Amino acid sequence: MKGFRFLLSRAVQGVIVMFGVSLLVFFALFLTGDPAALMMAPDSTVAEIDAFREAMGFNDPILVQYGRFLAGVVQGDFGNSLRYQRPALDLLSERLTATGVLALSALLWSSLLGFALGAIAAVRKNKPIDFAIRVISLLGQAVPVFWLALMMIILFSLNLRWLPSSGYGTFQQLIMPSVALGAYYLSAITRLVRASLIETLGENYIRTARAKGLTQWRIVVRHAMRNAMIPVVTLQGMYLASLLGGALVTEIIFAWPGIGRLAVEAIQNRDFPVVQAVVLFAAMVFVIANFLVDVAYTWLNPRIRL
Amino acid sequence: MFGRFQLRSNEDAALAIFLLVSAVVVSLAIPLFWPLDPLRGDIMATFKPPMTTNAGDFHPLGTDQLGRDLLARLGLGTLISFGIVLVAALISVVLGTALGMIAGYYGGWTDAIIMRLVDIQLAVPFILLILLLVSVLGPSLFNLIIVLGLTGWAIFARVARGRTLEVRELEYIDASRAIGLSDLTIIFRHILPNIIGPQTVLLTLDLPRLIILEASVGFLGLGVQPPVPTLGNLIGEGRSYMLIANWLVLYPGLMVGALVIGCNLLGDWLVRRAKSKVS
Repeated sequence: MKGFRFLLSRAVQGVIVMFGVSLLVFFALFLTGDPAALMMAPDSTVAEIDAFREAMGFNDPILVQYGRFLAGVVQGDFGNSLRYQRPALDLLSERLTATGVLALSALLWSSLLGFALGAIAAVRKNKPIDFAIRVISLLGQAVPVFWLALMMIILFSLNLRWLPSSGYGTFQQLIMPSVALGAYYLSAITRLVRASLIETLGENYIRTARAKGLTQWRIVVRHAMRNAMIPVVTLQGMYLASLLGGALVTEIIFAWPGIGRLAVEAIQNRDFPVVQAVVLFAAMVFVIANFLVDVAYTWLNPRIRL
Repeated sequence: MFGRFQLRSNEDAALAIFLLVSAVVVSLAIPLFWPLDPLRGDIMATFKPPMTTNAGDFHPLGTDQLGRDLLARLGLGTLISFGIVLVAALISVVLGTALGMIAGYYGGWTDAIIMRLVDIQLAVPFILLILLLVSVLGPSLFNLIIVLGLTGWAIFARVARGRTLEVRELEYIDASRAIGLSDLTIIFRHILPNIIGPQTVLLTLDLPRLIILEASVGFLGLGVQPPVPTLGNLIGEGRSYMLIANWLVLYPGLMVGALVIGCNLLGDWLVRRAKSKVS
């Protein structure tokens, strides 16, 4: 019951957040005062801008405009892309699979490897292997995604000719983007799992398990890991927003036809309906993911369910 | 056990300080003392590899597509990037701490509104928000600093609020209220000193995020505009020529890495020191 109330209040908060983001993306266009001039090419005439302003309804009172925007968004209508003259949502959904494949594959390999490395480091605390894992995770967090990507292209595509430097469709083309995007999370998850597991291994019930004569690995896998996962799962939800941010740069470098590339192109072309759609979509993914994290959290931690 | 812990953390701190100090020295000394101009090129000296001498000029890190000295550009670029990041971080920490303290101190509706703003801020990927705002306002040094600064406050607000909630219950705060001090005086004179320590640690741990963010924006060409070098600009420009001149990408990236590792190690060390002090 308590768990249900907790989830309900989180769901309400999620709706409030989405409403706030809609305000943000709507009013961002009015920061300079005139969204029509912002969206038109710099060499447009005054008459062209005026006609465009009238066509887009920018002459209406601002609250009317926001109401119209919100009503559209709720129905999945973000307006037409100025560049392609097609609904922004269509452009977005066409690119969804590519970004999904990239982000999920990066999250998957980095989580699995991160859990393994973090557990090894925690169990062998202060041993050479712990030190080695620590150095790797420090380096992984230090290099920007785009730099790692470029270095991999230089090494594996230009020099060794093992992997294609760009493109979408085959497994070989997925490897480098996925590695570049996941490297940061590998480090983050490794560090988190290590710290969390070390703390859990100091608890009394672990001492009991040890006193029963269970092996170290059994204790870690069966007893400690479940509790150690709580902070890790919570933070994975937070990381999701930056994962989408990282995907943006990765997609540009590897010519990956995903949402990130769509967003950067839209920003460069001042195609604001598309930008608004992408920002709202990213926020929605974040809110839903964090809600799922809350669900997982109530499941992992029976104390809030009571 | 404790001695070993101490030793290891000091090694970390030493490495952190070494990396940060050398980065700062490079970014200050090169623009001041290096004779070659970071903005003026020599069309006869394009794409010279590192450690070559051309027409009497020595290029330890080589030259770029316009024959500009990479070391001179890297020095100035580091200075500009690190300067942007520091000023932006300062804006974030001041804004976030103030709002977080207000939320924690007053509670109720004020708290709810500020914390929902934090949630909203954190729900949008930073880079997307920054690109959106920069493209609306136009890319410039000033806009970049403001946008980076205004978008980074949320995490500081969250931590400051949590700490304020703890401190608010202490007796001396009750006492301050009893002698009739105003809320603002209590917040800034009596609560703030308890928060500055944790916020400084958080700032050190947040700098790497900002460094990489600024570099990413520059890399995408929406940061400070060329010919001014920043770390991200250098990598972004170098990318087009990396087939024939990989040093243009390599060295700016290493500089980013050094700054980030330095800040991370320093932050971790500060966290551990704070923890061992408490226990």
